[in-house]
Amino acid sequence: MAQESNNSDQKLIGLMAQFDDPDSLLVACEKVRKAGYTKTDAFTPFPLHGIDEALGIKPTILPWIVLSLGIIGGTAGLALQYYTNAFDYPFMISAKPTFSLPANIPVIFELVILHAAIAVFIGMLALNRLPTFSNPLFRVPEFARATDDKFFLTVDINDPSYKPNKTRELFDGFRGQTAVLEVYEDPSEANLPPVIKIVGLCAIVIALIPPLLLWKAYNSTSTVPRINPIRDMDVQLRADTQTTMPSDIFADGRAMRPRIPGTVSRSDSLDTEFVTGIAADSDEQNVVFLQEEDKPAEPAAEEPAEEKPAEEAAEQPMAEAPADGQAPAAAPAEENEPNWVKIAPIKVTQSTVERGQKRYNIYCSVCHGLAGDGDGLVSQRAIEREQPTWVPPTNLHTDYLLTQPDGKIFNTITHGIRKMKGYGDQIPPEDRWAIVTYIRALQKTRTGTESEIPAVELKELEIKGQ
Amino acid sequence: MATVNEVIDTTIDDPGNRTPLVIGGHNYGSVTELVCRINESKTPIAWYIAFAVSLMTLGMFGSLIGYLVFTGVGVWGNNNPVYWGFPIVNFVFWVGIGHAGTLISAILFIFRQNWRTSINRFAEAMTIFAVACAGVFPAVHIGRVWVFYWLFPIPSLQLSMWPQFRSPLLWDVFAVSTYATVSVIFWYTGMIPDLATLRDRTKNPILRIVYSVLSLGWTGSARKWSRYEKAYTLFAALAAPLVLSVHTIVSFDFAVSQLPGWHTTIFPPYFVAGAVFSGFGMVLTLMVPARQIFGLQDVVTKRHLENVCKILLATGSMVGYAYAMEFFIAWYGGNLMEQFAFVNRAFGLTPWAYWVMVSCNVISPQLFWFKFCRTTPWVMFVVSIFVNIGMWFERFVITVTSLQRDFLPSSWGEFVPTWVDYGMLVGSFGLFFTLFLLFVRFGPIVAMAEVKSVMAHPHHDIHDIPQGDYHDDEVDH
Repeated sequence: MAQESNNSDQKLIGLMAQFDDPDSLLVACEKVRKAGYTKTDAFTPFPLHGIDEALGIKPTILPWIVLSLGIIGGTAGLALQYYTNAFDYPFMISAKPTFSLPANIPVIFELVILHAAIAVFIGMLALNRLPTFSNPLFRVPEFARATDDKFFLTVDINDPSYKPNKTRELFDGFRGQTAVLEVYEDPSEANLPPVIKIVGLCAIVIALIPPLLLWKAYNSTSTVPRINPIRDMDVQLRADTQTTMPSDIFADGRAMRPRIPGTVSRSDSLDTEFVTGIAADSDEQNVVFLQEEDKPAEPAAEEPAEEKPAEEAAEQPMAEAPADGQAPAAAPAEENEPNWVKIAPIKVTQSTVERGQKRYNIYCSVCHGLAGDGDGLVSQRAIEREQPTWVPPTNLHTDYLLTQPDGKIFNTITHGIRKMKGYGDQIPPEDRWAIVTYIRALQKTRTGTESEIPAVELKELEIKGQ
Repeated sequence: MATVNEVIDTTIDDPGNRTPLVIGGHNYGSVTELVCRINESKTPIAWYIAFAVSLMTLGMFGSLIGYLVFTGVGVWGNNNPVYWGFPIVNFVFWVGIGHAGTLISAILFIFRQNWRTSINRFAEAMTIFAVACAGVFPAVHIGRVWVFYWLFPIPSLQLSMWPQFRSPLLWDVFAVSTYATVSVIFWYTGMIPDLATLRDRTKNPILRIVYSVLSLGWTGSARKWSRYEKAYTLFAALAAPLVLSVHTIVSFDFAVSQLPGWHTTIFPPYFVAGAVFSGFGMVLTLMVPARQIFGLQDVVTKRHLENVCKILLATGSMVGYAYAMEFFIAWYGGNLMEQFAFVNRAFGLTPWAYWVMVSCNVISPQLFWFKFCRTTPWVMFVVSIFVNIGMWFERFVITVTSLQRDFLPSSWGEFVPTWVDYGMLVGSFGLFFTLFLLFVRFGPIVAMAEVKSVMAHPHHDIHDIPQGDYHDDEVDH
């Protein structure tokens, strides 16, 4: 055969006998072992009982490896649960102890099995030196049936008992032997071709790049917003304050939508005086609902500021704010001053003032102070910390405020002024008017005269005074 | 000596004779031929058709998962109070089916039930594919699939906290992932010698490379077999308690809660029996046609099937006992909520589901008391289909009826599955059968090495060899 002629210049590394049935193999194995051979092996399509003894195969240490890994797995499972749930991040659930062994048993059990099973697999492969893809036996054509229905016995040429003729004789004499084959060294390159090595190395290096980049990104800071492949709720289709909407949603890019011309909001009262603080007269009664588009062509001369839309009203007091050394040129502002409501358009009772006091203490007192002196805690702290941009809140007892019409104070509460924000969104109109009446009451505490106090109460005060 | 044409009825019990596990006068070579022929013959048209259908169903499954992930779990019928709908029903259904393979490989191995060798590979493959199907459902049920790793104790800056190890749901994560890992390596380890057989036979150069890599250079060396056998025994010893633990822990998901109908101590054994029952049901569903199609009647004999039927009868009766005991305890325990929960199951909102469950799981396997039914493949096939249906309904009944009607009527609700629910149930079969068809086409579906090791020695009877020869100490020296 061609195979045999090629073998002449190759190094013989072993002798192999082929058998058709397992029992002949077992007998031959026994013989070989008795003859003192140690570098022997048998090859069978299935595990053969009794071959370990016949060939003198020692028991494997695999169970000990598995036992150690099982113990490690169990210890790791216990330590993991103690560290995570009782030490690093204690969970308090229904006042149960953070560490309770019974609840930890399932995970410990599973980790024991997992570690042990992986140890069985890796340990078996490692002890068997698998994978081994190169094996001179594969070059013997008959050996292909070792995984099918033939049985083989080999003796290594390096075996101390190996003697060419004597061993051959032994092999020829096996009962049931169907062929004696020679195993030659594999002359092909044992190592992987360098090309594959280089490609493999490149592949490893390239594969390392993404995790390294991730690691770098994880451990460094950057001014660039992070890449957020899954956006969860970080990114939503909505406009935040001070941002514009994507122009494909609204052509003007505005997030706050102006009202559709000619519509009325359900929440708006039709009582202009009540919601704006501006006295109504026949020309101005629809002032709040006017949109920019509805504006008469030349408003400035005949109908001054009254017709400005509600949104813009906020800017108006700011422009004309004269207080605290910031007063702009007041002359044009005076001309544009709306026709403020003089007296709050609500029925004032004891409970209104008390309501106003509560609202004032909640919303206003933090800056303006409980007594209205402009010395609220926020202001005190800002001054203490020398905040350069802080504009001290107005003292509500100044003449400037004493003479202001109720409507204007109402408007300031609604839309804010200077640093003060508008409270129109938080405080309903009736409460804003209540606050105005309370401010008036506060002011009275400084400006009131004896004659304004009812006689009964005056008497009481006198009694207390003494 | 049996000749090839001799027909042996392996279903006859003769105490004086050990029934052969392989019939038809096979020798080692013909067993290899019989099994490898399935992989080596030209791919039948029927396989392509079946594969195309499975692949399309799998495609639908994938699309529905995509739809779910991009839209949210609202596409399911899950809603207050039934937050555990089809996804968990399907999960428990599939993970239950996934119990037969490792049970056959591990527990029957430990009990030296040699008949397991003909069906273990097949059943193990089924196990792994079923566990794969099972794994999909809790994974997508978490809602935000992209942070699934939060289930595992991996340090995460985003989360800055750890999983809650006292929760059965976390035990489930560990149990199912351990089970999947161990089943896969157990299955693969068992396949290495058979992959080597395929490697040594195949003429196709590409398949040869694939089989070579997968068989890791296995030669069948006795020294390697020795460690391999030890490893296999260790695997069996580890996998046997693992199999029992997995469905026990799955049952804790229910039993540790305080919901009437879930909060019962019978759940762990009852779930394990149910899992074995459904797993063996699926083994029959697949094995009966496969044995016919691939001509494996000599290796998977009627006796093998009969044994599976007996297991079905036993476990089906255990499940029936558990159903009865649940009612008994509900009455005997005197807990009104519990009583209501069980009466509601049988006669409440979805009584048809309960009675489908009882008739499929308890009544249908009783046919296996009759030898005719235990040895007639088409009867087994029909019963096995009933078992599959019944076990799905068992999980449906447990999950849904209890959630629909808990303690307070004010928190009652109804569960209405959506088309996505149904689509994903059907789609999971697409995943299962796609993997399965690929396996029967390219993998060794019968553990050849193991079958050969339990065969009667074909050409030689061991008694033919003179005893002196074997124990001769003075040979040639």
